[in-house]
Amino acid sequence: MIGIVGKNYATNNKAITASYLAKSVMGLESQIADIVVRPKYVEEIRKILLYCSAEKIAVSPISGGLSGGFACPTIKPAGVQLDLGRMNRIIEIDEANRIAIVEPGVTNGTLWAYMEKYHPDWAPPIADGAPPAATVMGDAIDRGFSLYTSSVGPQGDNFMCGEVVFPNGDIVRTGSWALPFAKPFYKYGLGPDMWSYLMGSQGALGVVTKAAVKIYPHPKFKTVITWGMSNPYDMQDLTLEVGMQEFGVAHNTVMVQGGNYPLVMARWPKDKVPHDYEFYKEMGIPAWWMNWETWANSQEELDFAINKINSMAEDYKKNRARDPDAMKPQELHPKQIASRLKKPNKIAIPYSFWEAGFLFITWYTPWNECAHFAENYCAAMEKHGFPPVMWIASIERCRQAICMPIVCFDSTKEEDFERVQDLNRETTEYGLKQGWLNYRPDPYIHAPLTYSKAAMYWKYLRAFKKLVDPNMIMHPGRLALP
Amino acid sequence: MAKTGMERLEELKPQIYKCIHCKACRFAYSGEPDREGIGEFTGKQGTVLYEGMVDACPAGIEYGWEAFWNAGKVWIARSILSGDLEFTEEVRDVLMPCITCGQCSAQCENKIPTVDIIEALRAALIESGVEMIDKHQLVDKLVKELNNPYGGKAAERFKWAKDAGLGKYINNKEAKIGYFVGCTASYRQIEVAIATAKLFEKLGMNFTLVGDEVCCGSPFFRVGAVETAQELMNKNLKAFKDLEMVYFSCAGCYRTITIDYPKWIAEDIEYPFKTKHAFELVADLITENKLKFKPNKELKGKVVTYHDPCHTGRHFAIDMEQDLIDKSTNLMFDMRKINKIIDEWFEIPRIILNKLQEDVGIEFKEMYRIKLNSMCCGAGGGVRAGYPDFSIRTASLRCDEANAVGADILTTECPFCWRNLSDANEQYEHGMKVMGVLQLITEYDLIDLAEKPKESDFLKGSIRELHL
Repeated sequence: MIGIVGKNYATNNKAITASYLAKSVMGLESQIADIVVRPKYVEEIRKILLYCSAEKIAVSPISGGLSGGFACPTIKPAGVQLDLGRMNRIIEIDEANRIAIVEPGVTNGTLWAYMEKYHPDWAPPIADGAPPAATVMGDAIDRGFSLYTSSVGPQGDNFMCGEVVFPNGDIVRTGSWALPFAKPFYKYGLGPDMWSYLMGSQGALGVVTKAAVKIYPHPKFKTVITWGMSNPYDMQDLTLEVGMQEFGVAHNTVMVQGGNYPLVMARWPKDKVPHDYEFYKEMGIPAWWMNWETWANSQEELDFAINKINSMAEDYKKNRARDPDAMKPQELHPKQIASRLKKPNKIAIPYSFWEAGFLFITWYTPWNECAHFAENYCAAMEKHGFPPVMWIASIERCRQAICMPIVCFDSTKEEDFERVQDLNRETTEYGLKQGWLNYRPDPYIHAPLTYSKAAMYWKYLRAFKKLVDPNMIMHPGRLALP
Repeated sequence: MAKTGMERLEELKPQIYKCIHCKACRFAYSGEPDREGIGEFTGKQGTVLYEGMVDACPAGIEYGWEAFWNAGKVWIARSILSGDLEFTEEVRDVLMPCITCGQCSAQCENKIPTVDIIEALRAALIESGVEMIDKHQLVDKLVKELNNPYGGKAAERFKWAKDAGLGKYINNKEAKIGYFVGCTASYRQIEVAIATAKLFEKLGMNFTLVGDEVCCGSPFFRVGAVETAQELMNKNLKAFKDLEMVYFSCAGCYRTITIDYPKWIAEDIEYPFKTKHAFELVADLITENKLKFKPNKELKGKVVTYHDPCHTGRHFAIDMEQDLIDKSTNLMFDMRKINKIIDEWFEIPRIILNKLQEDVGIEFKEMYRIKLNSMCCGAGGGVRAGYPDFSIRTASLRCDEANAVGADILTTECPFCWRNLSDANEQYEHGMKVMGVLQLITEYDLIDLAEKPKESDFLKGSIRELHL
């Protein structure tokens, strides 16, 4: 490895390899790698992969931050950890074609700040809630949630073309990029689309070394409106009605996200805040709520969108709500609005404050099943002794829901890990029966249970992996591949 | 029984396990990527963008590997506790270049006390039998022999006082108030010691320089030589036990005696005296309209900036925050109050600088990274002794930041910061004057007392005591 990247960028120093551990947020399976390598160039990666493939050494790439980076850490059987943090160039911003080309180490914070300074009328679809140090690429490969997702679709759809190095030594460009000299303007390129194979792979097929991500207008008229309710069904159904408008208003609502009051409670130490809902009710926090973060090109357009959502909510309350008395618009302080509009932010971080650790166990459901999911999962969390913390957001105008239970637990206790996994197993079995999908499948529960129910798809995934990774060295286990 | 490093590490386990490896801790202003600043500046250490969030961990910037950034070290601590990693020289060599500035702790949304964790790790490392690095062994040997890490003779600790005509304050038995001078101001930056003692004299304070004062132990708590540090602690507690109040001019000594001693002393020992930094006293007197400054032609129009020492700034702020969180029964209500108290704490030196602007005519200009987000001078955590080149480069980075606002005078309130910044200023030709704030006040004879302070003014507690 030193021969490939130089002595300053490869090490088996035990302290350094241990420093990459991350048993939290997205998975609990992190293992200490045998070697950490920090390549800078695509050719270095190609040589590393060829060597590791020949020697049958496992390789796990991380892009830099949490989402898709430390979210898919090295797992058994360890091997080489590829830290792609040095590949951190913003290669190009093309306003006319509305594309940013980035390397894997470019963080949300860096790209956001760069665009604010040099392209202030445009913004990248960075992950909301993921910390500024999380990477743009990591979120894409995770098919995550960005600040535009409720309007334009999953984060994976925001990526047009990519460059990937496979363990067989091939460097493949996808979409229109497959054609030499072509701009990354068309995702589906030369026939069947290979990029989609990489989405959700989290580095299990190859190392993505460049990607072209869509950028969007960044209008200056913004606000957040919130409606509170007593139950997830009213939240789900009202939001669906707004989303189903599709054109106009629904496109203005870039982020539509909500949840329940424990989302507020669990951001503080367990023994330092009241647990009883009555306290939160007195503070004006509804049991459930939905936020519509709305962007527009003018105040007039913004007012129109807000008024439309409010009138739809009033109509829903009057005619179709399960609990109309509990439904009301929330008066947000300007500071609260400013805080919610701030990007990127550290909103998702402090759930460790509750005890000493947390895990996002995220699922995709059809939007009109998210309330069922929330009800079922919250009950399961309470049954297993966890606060029922639930965050839900709309993807592409309520075509899908991203449902994220936040399991707050004490990671100093082995028995708490077992409780988390018991909850995980029970809810996964239930969720799969409903036809819901896990977002970041963990290798020991989600992946085996999911693929056992999708044998044909699994067969073709393996076949494709075998083609590009003949010795199955890439991030083995995460997707149960092999 | 005093605590061992491993016991401290075990105590900190619930905090260590809170880390989710989000890496916010590597940046100043980690939640503000679009924060407005002064833009790009090319200084002696290259070009830095002073806006948005900025890479801020000196060791991480210098060495690059994850282990040198804070989150990496917290996961090293967790690996030690879980038995996945043992203490070795490899572990030592990634732990020791940390300056323990606490920038990481200030960024952490989960309020992880990173400095405590690193110091406990270092203490446990040394206890495990791993040798200290050579340069730390040398200062450890010196302090054991001479009660200071500089190799100065114990008998000459207060030579500066005698030479400056302040000898009458040595072992002044009548005084209830002590001035803990510290080793750096006693043997190196004697300007700070003289300025502080003269300031006290001018204010009419009856104070004593305690003849049995020894090194506060700060470098030894920082590098893990806890046994040495505890021996020094016990000597100082004995030497100062009859005093009501002890004043400091050194950020490191103040932090060590106020924050570290209570953590490391046996639980049955009662803490004997109140502590306060001299700049708190000056700020109090300004706020109470008892003190103002004389105009000064030489200083008029000079651009003065202020470097927050980590030890008096961030370390106290974080310690107060932790204490107040521990005491709170409803943090959702109390957190806003806690943040306000922290803001007040950082305003103390700024009360003085703003008053200097108002009365003297200096132009007080803040650097980009200030208060909780301030950048370290590079001297702390045993780094100046252990890794001098890296330490001075870090100080030069800070001097670049002062140059970026056009500072003529870079002030601070810690002789150790003063030393490092001053050395970098000279070595890299930053072209400023580096001074302590109190030194500036005394050397330019700026004090203008509206009303002679009373003894009760001098005995008034620090604002941190009012809140804790």
